[in-house]
Amino acid sequence: MCCASLVKWARLKSPWVLHFNSGACNACDIEVVALLTPRYDVERFGILLEPSPRHADVLLTTGVVTRQCADRLKRIYEQMPEPKFVVAIGACACSGGVFEGNYNVLGGVDKVIPVDVYVPGCPPKPEAIIDGIVKLLNSAREAKLDDKR
Amino acid sequence: MTSVEKKILMLLSDRLGEKILQIQTPQLGKVFVRVNAGVLRDALRVLFEENESAGISAITGVDLGKSIELMYHVRTHGTIITVRTEVPKEDAGIESITDLIPGANFHEREVADLFGVTFDGHPTQRRLVLPDSWPRNLFPLRKDAVIASIPNKLENAAVSDEDMQPSEGRTLIKVVMGPQHPALIEPEKFSLRVDGEIVKEVEPRIGYVHRGIEKAAENRTYLQDIYLVERICGICNACHAACFCQTVEAIMGISVPPRARYLRTVILELNRIHSHMLLLGHAGLEIGYETLFQYMWRDREPVMDIVEWLTGNRVIASFITIGGVRRDLKEEMIPKIKAELTNLKEKMSFYKHLFDSDPTLKMRTKNVGVLSKQDALKLCVVGPVARGSGVNMDVRKDEPYAAYDEIPFNMVTYNEGDSWARLMVRLAEIGESINIINYALDNLPSGPYRVRVPRIVPAGEAFGRVEAPRGELFYYVKSNGTAYPERVKVRTPTFANILSFVRIAEGGNVADVPASFVSLDPCFSCTDR
Repeated sequence: MCCASLVKWARLKSPWVLHFNSGACNACDIEVVALLTPRYDVERFGILLEPSPRHADVLLTTGVVTRQCADRLKRIYEQMPEPKFVVAIGACACSGGVFEGNYNVLGGVDKVIPVDVYVPGCPPKPEAIIDGIVKLLNSAREAKLDDKR
Repeated sequence: MTSVEKKILMLLSDRLGEKILQIQTPQLGKVFVRVNAGVLRDALRVLFEENESAGISAITGVDLGKSIELMYHVRTHGTIITVRTEVPKEDAGIESITDLIPGANFHEREVADLFGVTFDGHPTQRRLVLPDSWPRNLFPLRKDAVIASIPNKLENAAVSDEDMQPSEGRTLIKVVMGPQHPALIEPEKFSLRVDGEIVKEVEPRIGYVHRGIEKAAENRTYLQDIYLVERICGICNACHAACFCQTVEAIMGISVPPRARYLRTVILELNRIHSHMLLLGHAGLEIGYETLFQYMWRDREPVMDIVEWLTGNRVIASFITIGGVRRDLKEEMIPKIKAELTNLKEKMSFYKHLFDSDPTLKMRTKNVGVLSKQDALKLCVVGPVARGSGVNMDVRKDEPYAAYDEIPFNMVTYNEGDSWARLMVRLAEIGESINIINYALDNLPSGPYRVRVPRIVPAGEAFGRVEAPRGELFYYVKSNGTAYPERVKVRTPTFANILSFVRIAEGGNVADVPASFVSLDPCFSCTDR
């Protein structure tokens, strides 16, 4: 029990995030990258951008899911260790946005993988993305992580 | 028609004579030459032989009902000559022109994917933008395509690139870069065949971000399309809006008020500054110089602030509309903007010094990923990639739009053709952009900032060009006299530049791949649309 709470404490103090674009227009993507840079600096929450899904706790997804990307998104999600969280950033990732109904588009991210936090906006401001991630951390703090999926 | 175009037309009629069916000039300086499918290659050969720096700008397909029209937009002497022909829909096929001009490779593959036209003699017949699971006989941009129930089969990786054979029996190791890769913010796949540390072959697979925007544009009104095309690319969104609006305005015969032309110039240049800074920072990250990345992005934030003051939005501006711009610039904002730009200019001279003197930067970028001028012309690259290889090409100079005909600025070119030259072009262009904005703000004309336009666009066709941060952006719009366009074609700069990656990566070190790749400033949401 003690060990589990230690792990939980560590995880919440330093969540590692992975960014994946499954069909975005780059607007949300540059805002996600802007989070890491001096003005927004999410490292003050211990957040670190991680290139490999196998080391990541939180998946930040941007954009609609295109047919070609759906499988990749699913595979990346499956490669992440438990417990894992998904933040859908932007109108497209939330619901398909302006591209809803296009022939090569499946829709929002929740058509393929479960989503924990939706951050709407086209694109959302970096403050909104930070708010989304902090909300996720707070709710994870309250929930029993072991029960999570 | 200018004298250059007259000269080219004379030459064409000399060589081809009666084989030319029709010559149209619907817009000032826009020439369309109609020929039979059999004569197309001859016509293009004349154009390419006449000017060795001529290149293919785009190939547009249009579904005419019984036949498919193909338009080859040839860029020559700073203008565009369009050669158009028709092929029957049932047996849509035409000879490939990749042997005349290798840069046509991707353009042909795209038309093959979306319209089902086979290009005989094309070196690669694989899919380019559509997913591998897409039905073989369904071509989404044909008007009669019924896209109701596409089986949602997951990607079949076995078909896509496993069939790439190693050359000459040597054992080459395959290294797959992407779709999820630290050096790629966007998902695309590059299969590299490596011999030890040396890259021997590169096979790009794009289409991961293909959202079918050209088709979607046909189902939305012109006004809705502005917001749609802005979302082709979040980085150069104002360029997309400007190019689309310009093209529609050309069909409608509207002239934009002077104040709107200047305000458009301001937002277009802000787009360029923030895009170039983003790239220079990203380049720092890829060569393992994270401090440069953090500094650049820190200094980029004030530019985003200016965009927000001007348009109300930080990233997607939604500022340009048909007939002008959507809001005016308040007088009291001008000194604030100029103060920020002065700050930025000082910082840019620091970065210039850094790029000129820092040994780490030089070691990773000098003589790495060299693209010769010859290759640049053959592969029809555009923008800073072309200018970094000594090709004088800038739509702002060649075919001025917005207020560029009234604003003095210099075109920046470097002759080295390596990654360093491409980065330096961008660094110098930021300085030029700051000067352009300052000039535009000092000389901002008074008067209205937009004219009201009808929702229905008269029948007609036009194309427009804009110098986006990554190079020439090309739009073709065809109207059928309703509120909905008949066809919207977008050829984005990265689509033209991506072939050059294959050229600069082959023969180089694996470790240099990300750095030389980023120096091209690829934007895949643009490429795939």
